[in-house]
Amino acid sequence: MADLEIKDLHVRTDEREILRGVDLEINRGEIHALMGPNGSGKSTLANTLLGHPAYEITEGSIVFKGEDITEAEPHERAKAGLFLAFQYPVSIPGVSVANFLRMAINAKRDEPIQVKEFRTQLQHAIELLDVDKAFTSRHLNDGFSGGEKKRAEILQMAMLAPDIAILDETDSGLDIDALRTVAEGVQRLHDEQGLGALIITHYQRILHYVKPEFVHILMDGKIVLEGGVELVERLEREGYDQIRQEFGGQPELAA
Amino acid sequence: MSAAPNGASADGARTNGATPVQVKAGRHREASLYHALAGAGAGDGRTLAQLREAALRAYEDSELPVWRRSGFWSTSLQSLDLDALETSVQEHGVPEVVSRTLPDRPRAGRIVQSAGAVVQVELNEALAERGVILCSLEQAFEQHGELVSEWYCKRLPIDRHKLEAANAAFWTGGAFLYVPQGVVVEEPFEIVYAIDRPGVAQYGRTLVLGGPTSEFRVHEYDLAEDFEGQALHAGAFELYLQDGARCRLAQFQDWGSGEVYDSSTRFVGVGRDAYCHWLPALLGGHLVRQHLELAVMEKGGDMAFRGLFFTEEHEHLDVFAVDLHETGPSGGDVHWRGTATGESRASFEGLIQIDPGAQQTHTYLQIHTMMLSPKARVDAIPSVLVSADDVSASHGGTVGELDETAIFYMQTRGLDRPAAVRVIVEGFFEPLVAELQDEALEQLVRDRVQEKLAAAREDIEAYAISR
Repeated sequence: MADLEIKDLHVRTDEREILRGVDLEINRGEIHALMGPNGSGKSTLANTLLGHPAYEITEGSIVFKGEDITEAEPHERAKAGLFLAFQYPVSIPGVSVANFLRMAINAKRDEPIQVKEFRTQLQHAIELLDVDKAFTSRHLNDGFSGGEKKRAEILQMAMLAPDIAILDETDSGLDIDALRTVAEGVQRLHDEQGLGALIITHYQRILHYVKPEFVHILMDGKIVLEGGVELVERLEREGYDQIRQEFGGQPELAA
Repeated sequence: MSAAPNGASADGARTNGATPVQVKAGRHREASLYHALAGAGAGDGRTLAQLREAALRAYEDSELPVWRRSGFWSTSLQSLDLDALETSVQEHGVPEVVSRTLPDRPRAGRIVQSAGAVVQVELNEALAERGVILCSLEQAFEQHGELVSEWYCKRLPIDRHKLEAANAAFWTGGAFLYVPQGVVVEEPFEIVYAIDRPGVAQYGRTLVLGGPTSEFRVHEYDLAEDFEGQALHAGAFELYLQDGARCRLAQFQDWGSGEVYDSSTRFVGVGRDAYCHWLPALLGGHLVRQHLELAVMEKGGDMAFRGLFFTEEHEHLDVFAVDLHETGPSGGDVHWRGTATGESRASFEGLIQIDPGAQQTHTYLQIHTMMLSPKARVDAIPSVLVSADDVSASHGGTVGELDETAIFYMQTRGLDRPAAVRVIVEGFFEPLVAELQDEALEQLVRDRVQEKLAAAREDIEAYAISR
């Protein structure tokens, strides 16, 4: 049984069915890429996996490490070892990055983390992600540039050490340096901690820095094509339209 | 330091006390009260006895006040059974609520009034030797009559409404703090008003003087036990800073869950090149009406006027805060934040007033509110009255609700919903709390905010579902 098993997932929001039967299996230590055109349901899948209240699961199930979490609260999923790096990270004024990280780490533990241990972990994560130490005393995402927000997401991921992380278009809006830092951060967490990742992206460019073993193409709420990294190259050559024609996606439903 | 009258106003707010204003219930409309305490106060050379006598006449001639807030709602003190309350001057010991609440920390001095009597006065000896005075206002009139009489009621009126008049007529105990020229004190002076039982009418009266280039902190605590039944705190507070003096004034107000009414007028006057940072934290009281005024009275004066409030259950809070510039150049910066849970109501009315001749004044007023409950209501009403042409004055603000996206974001990091709400609300107040620059007091405010949030947990949940 895979660590994360998504079975026949149907999801509605605002009276519309966005996901129409998604099956996906992800294990720790595996890097998956989920690609698809705008409106195919990629972000819906990401938010649904973490339990966003606006998305209603009408059919199917999500099982994580043997537990059915289809109905679980978002924080319970996080504590179990899932993580979502947001496409648009939210600013939390008045709370420093470091304090927020400490709260998040303590939420997963019975005993609060020792100051020294926390500092060591933070120092390690800071080096991994090439951010300034002063960064951690700034208020979380408040006034951050796009690149800083995404780095803060990966910093949190590094500190919380999830089993499986979903990265929702983490590459969008990043310049090449930030993109490389973020991508290398993911790759190192995979190599060092055995992180499993589902990298959701519209573009191919992040996949030049992180090498996925599995690639899934989502169209109109269904995974229509799966394969290895060669799929990325094919997409680059042919674009989504070719695949859509081949696999009978329904363009009229894509928003 | 002068208190030159600046522009007579239309009604009793600028009385000299000679002719008490007739105050009828319901007549205290916003239009007639909507201006600063411009001009001289009641202390115009009359003795304390004469002022008490004048105030007594105003008291007898008036009803309990009602403030109609046009388009909004009323703040009425008429549900107060004033005749049933007593001003006890026989008190023994410091009430438990005081020892329980005040942080154990180094301080320059402390004065505690319980009901109508001062029950504790302590002052650092080294400071006393340097001429610092901290004592009851009654004692100050006896021992430092000349100094006190010069400043008492310099800018405070005594007859605008029944409770203001009651305070001026009946006050007992009281607090007097004098920091002489050049004396710099790091630790705070603590001024405490406590009510430990129902049935008490407390007329609190505070006078603080900062001599030229003095620097000091004042922490006022307004505390009551949680009891059933009515009590009253009618307060009058005045603080004057002379040339180049600097003061950080903070107020921690939590009247508990009893039916405590608080109607207070507070005036802070900033002299030449002086500076005041003033931050009231209004964190509890059945019905609270605060008239707060921070005035730059002389050239070069500067101020930061901060405040936060958090009402709960059926509490009612009405704040009228004035950023007054009587001369220029002067600086001002007003920043308030407030929230409400339960079925409570809070109104914050902020006024920037720049008098004629107060050229080169620069000031800004911002008020931010956050809604935490479907039945609570917070109104923020900013106004700007400018009578000079070489100034900058503006206002801004936000009305926020709990951001569900932010809550989800934090939940995906493992925080449960109540924890995420705590983070948001704490973050909302944090910019102001951090400005207290006093760890013990900051922690006290943070803890009280958290307690209120914990108490309102179901309410906040219900609000999320209703949206």
